[in-house]
Amino acid sequence: MTKKLKKGTRCTICKAKGENDKAVVYLPHHRLALCKEHFIEWFEKRVEKTIKEFKMFKLDEKILVAVSGGKDSLALWNALTKLGYQADGFYIDLGIGDYSEESKKLSIDFAESIGRKLHIVPMKEEIAPIPEIKQSTKRPACSACGTVKRYYMNKIAKELGYNVVATGHNLDDEVATLFGNTLGWDINYLKRQYPVLQEENGFVRKVKPLCKITEKESALYSFFNNIEYIEYECPFSEGASSIEYKEIWSKIEEKSPGSKLRFYSEFLKKMYPILNTQNKNINVSEIKTCIICGEPSFNEICSVCKLKEKVGIKS
Amino acid sequence: MVEIKVKYRGKEQILKFDKEKVKAIDILKALNLSSEHAFVAKNGELASEDEIISPEDKIKVINAISGG
Repeated sequence: MTKKLKKGTRCTICKAKGENDKAVVYLPHHRLALCKEHFIEWFEKRVEKTIKEFKMFKLDEKILVAVSGGKDSLALWNALTKLGYQADGFYIDLGIGDYSEESKKLSIDFAESIGRKLHIVPMKEEIAPIPEIKQSTKRPACSACGTVKRYYMNKIAKELGYNVVATGHNLDDEVATLFGNTLGWDINYLKRQYPVLQEENGFVRKVKPLCKITEKESALYSFFNNIEYIEYECPFSEGASSIEYKEIWSKIEEKSPGSKLRFYSEFLKKMYPILNTQNKNINVSEIKTCIICGEPSFNEICSVCKLKEKVGIKS
Repeated sequence: MVEIKVKYRGKEQILKFDKEKVKAIDILKALNLSSEHAFVAKNGELASEDEIISPEDKIKVINAISGG
């Protein structure tokens, strides 16, 4: 199968309708050549299909989109809004220099352009900027960052009355994570890798509507919709293993289009149910309530309250 | 030799090519990017891999891979 779009190829959908528009995008894993308009339509339909396939949420539910200012979260927010869902945004100002300043501005501008609310939580006021947390805890920045993102996303969603938190994780993200977890056969992570995590024990429902959209499709969707997003990486993410895995998977995908989608969807279909037949709720029984803040936690004191202690904040 | 000004990850840089006809795919290769996760925008429109790029074109490269 040739991967390149041949000159003069017509859009598959336009052709079926008897029109003549030229294709600008070729999706070998779906055997589709599409013009700009039909690519946008295809993308939004695919997101909607994924939402329905995994019963993520309904039209009358209030959704909070975790927005970073990157292409995936903004593409997701745009698509959900166009599909008629009530989706507002949530941005954590991590306090990582220009990176945070620029991504915050892009998020605010985007929220304005679609006329939806954006809730902003500044880390500077809640605990401390991420670089300071990194210094005073001696923990890698990404681990502290993941902890605070998960915590505040959940807490704020509950406080503001949102039923669901949606994140922009795309197919490449899911494949990289699944691949990493499979390399170590990390059963406890594998059995939770699903595009919907139901609400339970103080956690709101979490969903990933872009889980069947590739990273490139998401970038193309943002590009065609003139969405301005932060185009460079967080300075702390350099050398992340997820990027290496993505590059490896790019090579596999190039040789055999559809591999990423197969690896992920077949896991969900075949492996996920097997992993969850025994000890279904093993994690649930271990969940306690943090004695300081009352949020769900695996220990007496949750990881964010521990971070606060280390940074020297009295709760 | 052809010099092409390229905007990539928010920064401008100049790429030099030892040939007359530079294609979009050559720009990706020069930046060590695969068309599996990157693409070229020429004057605001998506460029196909074998589209010819000239020095007066406004070129932006978008790399979809992100980590973290």
